[in-house]
Amino acid sequence: MLTTELTARQKAAVLLVVAALLVAVLATGLLLQEHAPGNMGTGFLQGAGVALVAGAVVLWRVTRRSESATTFERAFTQTGDERDNSLLTRALAVQGLAAFLLTAAAVVAIGLGAETMMILFFLLVGQLAVGAVAFAVIARRS
Amino acid sequence: MGGGETLRNDIRDLRVAAGLSQRELAEALSVSRQTVNSIETGRYDPSLPLAIAIAQHFRTTVEEIFHVDH
Repeated sequence: MLTTELTARQKAAVLLVVAALLVAVLATGLLLQEHAPGNMGTGFLQGAGVALVAGAVVLWRVTRRSESATTFERAFTQTGDERDNSLLTRALAVQGLAAFLLTAAAVVAIGLGAETMMILFFLLVGQLAVGAVAFAVIARRS
Repeated sequence: MGGGETLRNDIRDLRVAAGLSQRELAEALSVSRQTVNSIETGRYDPSLPLAIAIAQHFRTTVEEIFHVDH
C-alpha cells in the first residue's frame, strides 16, 4: 500500500535517524581529517553532505509531491506499494550477490599489489553501481 | 506456477469498461499508477491481498480476472 503521509511516529523516527546520521557523518569526517591521508576527510564530508541533501529532497518529494515521486524514491523511503518493495528487495539481492564477487576480485587485486585505498573506493562505487543498475533494469522489466 | 506458465488478467478491460483511468484505479487500490500499469501489462503479478482487492473493486472474483496460460 502507498503510505506517503508520515505518521507522528514515523516523523520522529526519521528525525532520529537524520540526527544520528549527521552526528556519525561529522564524527567520521573529523576523524578522517585528523588521521587519514590527503584530503580524505574533506572528500568524505562533501560526499556525505551531497548524499544527505539528496536524501532530504527525496523525503520532501515523497511526502509533499507524492504524485510525482519516482519508483526509486518511493522504494528507498519505504513509502511505496508492494511492487516498489519487491523491486527494492530484488535489486538489493542482486547487489548482495555481486558484493561477494566484487569483494573477491578486490582481495585478488590487493593480493597482486594494487593500492588498498583505491581498491576499497572502487569496491564501494562498484557496489553502488550494481545496485543502481539492478534497480533500473528490474523496474523496467516488472 | 510452474515453468512455462504465465498469468494474464482482464484488468485493463474491466477498468476501461468502468470508465476509470489507471491513476483513478491506483488511488482506489492505494497503489501507484505504475503498479496498475505493470499488472495490466502482465509484467508484475500482484500479491493475493492485492488481487482480492482488485476483484472486490470490480465486484467479481479473482478467478474471473486472473487466468493461467499454459
